[in-house]
Amino acid sequence: MTNLEKYNDIFVQVFGAEIAQLGDSFCKETVAEWDSVHQLNIISLIEETYDLMLDPEDIMACTSYNAGKEILARNGVEL
Amino acid sequence: MLLNLDRIEPERIAILDSEGGIVTYGDIISRANAIQEEVRERTFCILPVENKASDALEVMAMLASERIVPLIVNKKTDKTLMDHLQHTYGNVGHAVHERLSHLLPTSGSTGSPKLIRHCYDNIEAAGLNISTFFELKQTDRPLMVLPLYYTMGLSMLFSHLRVGATVLLTGRNMTDPVFWKFMKEEKATSFTGVPYSFQILDMMRFYRMDLPDLTLLTQGGGKMPTPLNERFVSYCEQNGKRWIATYGQSECTARMAYLPAKWAREKMGSIGIAVPNGELSLIDADGNTITTPDTEGEMCYRGKNVTMGYATCAADMLKGDERNGFIRTGDLARFDKDGCYYIVGRMGRFLKLFGMRVGLDECEQIIATYCQTESACVGTDEKMIVYITDGKKTQAVKDALVEKTHIVATSFEIRVIDEIPKNETGKKLFSKLENK
Repeated sequence: MTNLEKYNDIFVQVFGAEIAQLGDSFCKETVAEWDSVHQLNIISLIEETYDLMLDPEDIMACTSYNAGKEILARNGVEL
Repeated sequence: MLLNLDRIEPERIAILDSEGGIVTYGDIISRANAIQEEVRERTFCILPVENKASDALEVMAMLASERIVPLIVNKKTDKTLMDHLQHTYGNVGHAVHERLSHLLPTSGSTGSPKLIRHCYDNIEAAGLNISTFFELKQTDRPLMVLPLYYTMGLSMLFSHLRVGATVLLTGRNMTDPVFWKFMKEEKATSFTGVPYSFQILDMMRFYRMDLPDLTLLTQGGGKMPTPLNERFVSYCEQNGKRWIATYGQSECTARMAYLPAKWAREKMGSIGIAVPNGELSLIDADGNTITTPDTEGEMCYRGKNVTMGYATCAADMLKGDERNGFIRTGDLARFDKDGCYYIVGRMGRFLKLFGMRVGLDECEQIIATYCQTESACVGTDEKMIVYITDGKKTQAVKDALVEKTHIVATSFEIRVIDEIPKNETGKKLFSKLENK
């Protein structure tokens, strides 16, 4: 799996989402289930998948599919 | 008046929320009086709430008025479930028992139509017991993230308002910067959470934050994983804060036992001793009281916070107290030589995912209704394992559970088996299914 595929898979696992749904509009405001539990789950899976240790600021910022990508970029993961 | 709310100076702030909402003790009294003016006869209502000062005001004023008897539910309850509640209880009207104060669903997440019937004495008892063992005082500023429709959240209100404290209420996620700003700027003195709340604090590197005003951390809603518990106990020891683990059930207006801070490390994992004015005991399979330490039995509780019973239909709202202050908890426990209790298992069919009780039978019903397939749900407080026989429905089952319970998809593991094990009378044999 490529890094992007792994990233998409995180959202499939956490939200039961389909790949086609993932994109600019997939965020806290548009996804009803997106609460702290889901957000932390994304973070845990990101940390596990890419072997990272994220800062509280990154954890708080992870409120959309795109924001997650930016967090990865900041932590040196290329998608 | 309820919880002696009228003895607190009216201008004192009772509830302050993270969006700037403010409710004083005087506001609660005025609103309660207004309700008494408007509503002449005791009346049932369904009250959807979120963690806002204005909603907390409504709850407390209805209770203090002793006129409106609310069924307190999550504002985000799924529409189908809400319709179900409306359909079941919509015509209760004035047909409520004289001591019935409020109702809560048995299961926070599935919005179960089975309700817990509370009376005014339960509120008083919870307020008194909880404020006593936490040693609450007027200057306390507890941070409340637990929902208002959740028994532990409500009991935080009861116990703190009883002593004239100011409850800092928020509906913000703990991953939201506003949550942290609120906690720091409003100088929260205590934090109460379920195990998952502490997992979040742990991930947010809570131990490194400078929170000099925070002096008490309390936990309920299920057992903490030991390594996590250990980290918080150490943090509290090193920073001069109190760590108090508690145990409770909705059937008993939240807290029933607590582990005194002095035993936080030595007896980690124990639920401790009964709350003040309460009594814990164990009974064996024949119903005899167990008196020997380290013997397993069903844990029982006696106290004024034991609720009146359940309601499953509108007519039940007229029922009186069916428990007389005594309940078998459905939890298997033992006690040590100091009388501290340890939960070792559960007799009932429910899990506590993220501190929220999730009924396994209810989940099977959801699957039957929305996926038209038979299932058997088992699991641990970490994860629910759902056994189905129709492999084509795996995704549909997962989707239905996620949609109806609002619980994260990773909490459900769907397994396909040839046949659900049953006995000759057709009863499912859950013990034959792997629960991990």
